[in-house]
Amino acid sequence: MAFFHWENYFCCRGPWRRQLDKNLKFHKLVAYGIAINATIHIVAHLCNLERYRWSQSTEAEGLLAALAKLGKTPNESYLNPIRTFHTNTITVLLTTIAGVTGLIISLAFILIMTSSTEFIRQVSYELFWYTHHVFIIFFVSLAIHGVLFCFVLMASRIVRGQTPESQLLHNVTFCKDRYAQWQTAAQCPTPQFSGKEPSAWKWVLGPVVLYTCERIIRFWRFRQEVVITKVVSHPSGVLELHMKKRNFKMAPGQYVLIQCPSISWLEWHPFTLTSAPQENFFSVHIRVAGDWTEALCKAFGAGGQARKESWSLPRLAVDGPFGTALTDVFHYPVSVCVAAGIGVTPFASLLKSIWYRCESHPQLKLSKVYFYWICRDPRAFEWFADLLLSLETLMSERGKAHFLSYHIFLTNWDENQAVHIALHWDANTDVITGLKQKTFYGRPDWNHEFRQMAYTHPSSNIGVFFCGPKALSKTLQRMCRLYSSADPRGVHFYYHKESF
Amino acid sequence: MGQIEWAMWANEQALASGLILITGGIVATAGQFTSWWFGAYSIVAGVFICLLEYPRGKRRKGSTMERCGQKYLTKVVKVLGPLSRNYYIRAVLHLGLSVPAGFLLATILGTACLAIASSIYLLAAFHGEQWTPIEPKPKERPQPQG
Repeated sequence: MAFFHWENYFCCRGPWRRQLDKNLKFHKLVAYGIAINATIHIVAHLCNLERYRWSQSTEAEGLLAALAKLGKTPNESYLNPIRTFHTNTITVLLTTIAGVTGLIISLAFILIMTSSTEFIRQVSYELFWYTHHVFIIFFVSLAIHGVLFCFVLMASRIVRGQTPESQLLHNVTFCKDRYAQWQTAAQCPTPQFSGKEPSAWKWVLGPVVLYTCERIIRFWRFRQEVVITKVVSHPSGVLELHMKKRNFKMAPGQYVLIQCPSISWLEWHPFTLTSAPQENFFSVHIRVAGDWTEALCKAFGAGGQARKESWSLPRLAVDGPFGTALTDVFHYPVSVCVAAGIGVTPFASLLKSIWYRCESHPQLKLSKVYFYWICRDPRAFEWFADLLLSLETLMSERGKAHFLSYHIFLTNWDENQAVHIALHWDANTDVITGLKQKTFYGRPDWNHEFRQMAYTHPSSNIGVFFCGPKALSKTLQRMCRLYSSADPRGVHFYYHKESF
Repeated sequence: MGQIEWAMWANEQALASGLILITGGIVATAGQFTSWWFGAYSIVAGVFICLLEYPRGKRRKGSTMERCGQKYLTKVVKVLGPLSRNYYIRAVLHLGLSVPAGFLLATILGTACLAIASSIYLLAAFHGEQWTPIEPKPKERPQPQG
């Protein structure tokens, strides 16, 4: 999937790129598909094996018994892989390659599924990540499950079918009801069978080759040098890293995978890019949320430790950028950006990019941006508040004070804060963020906001961009549908969601 | 790998094993396979395991996502006391439950999965983990809209 992103960023434009960029959803969908099909496959084989076995019993009759009896005399080839009634099907499972590999595949898949649930990903990302690598065992066993393993021993070829020569002589449709006469009648000579050609490798080969290409690309990118140009340690436990890499081109809203060999050779963690493409460096903001991020922040001297020299900083490897670009924002005359909690990071990059575009292209199609930030604890994102403050100042200097209108909503506050806010209500700047626009408390009233926007821009196309939890996404989608007018010349809200 | 709570993964694995046992059991019983009574046993064992494992235990650090409607089963599982709290007992129980299902092909996958769940529970028990029920929080005072 990463391979596709990289290629498509340069090659494809338009809706196709967005389809391929829904990689996580696609991956999960394929996984569920595999689970369902594997269940059907296993159940079918169970019933089949049992049927094979039962057809060897003395109570079996009809076509089933006739087919099972084939192969008992010297010139006949057999159809039923289970030769006697007393064969234990479990022994068949454990002594055939197909059986053993089938069991291994199933176990590998189940282990991957149980360690990939949302809960486990939250509890221990490393467990999810490392267990997921069991897919290597999965794919190797899958290839062996149906393949000709002729270097070591004869192919298992358990599933058998009528040979093409025999099919010419013995017409199945005609002869299946006349099984008692197979040896005697001329129209139905005894059918001949052989093992079916293995074909699983044809299906597995394509994806395996693509995946190998992707890992090779990642390894090549790993070897590329990443220069760290600036390290900023924000008081709320956020580490900001400015880096440079040759031929690195990004768009706002994308993310990179970062690896720090001195912490772990196998872990690549995703971080949204917070710099604009117009800047000559790229940056990420890393918040301490687990072992790896904690180790990284310590290695970079965050948390009030002594300043580190640039030669003592650990080496980083960067793969990317991946993900959907938020550049659609520029295609609308009015854009609404809604960020909830940590979803604010892609918008940092976007807002900076908007600022640079305003500077270089005074005649932008985009003329108004509404930015909503819903946050529980603004202290974790005060670096973002600083960004808004600097944008606010720059915009008013340029005389474009009305270009960007932002609203911050604090959803978690207590008595002390409420008293403090009430005391400073009449001050010029907001007491929590220091910005000119005041912070609101509680959740936004979306009906009111959308109604206001529909009223202010009665005949525009308005793009709505959101990054955050699913519940709010559904609310916004509903609002977009509700407040888009039926008149084609009226206001229309178009909803875009980013998932991270 | 840091502080992994193995019991959380063991719980997911055991729940999955329960479901696999039920599925295998239904296939064997409905198809009236040879020795189908092992299939019937698997269904019963699978249902018991699913009920036991459905209520998630509380994490040591941080908040735990409850499964939908688990509070009813939490009350029942809590009543078992040390039988449900101690992960050594759970590991032995799962291992014991998995053995009979190993005699039938349709349920052998369930056996393997349950055996793996049992070993992860054993690992969790070595790390001193135990099952703590998630108690409902006292109702918070509603905050006025700003």
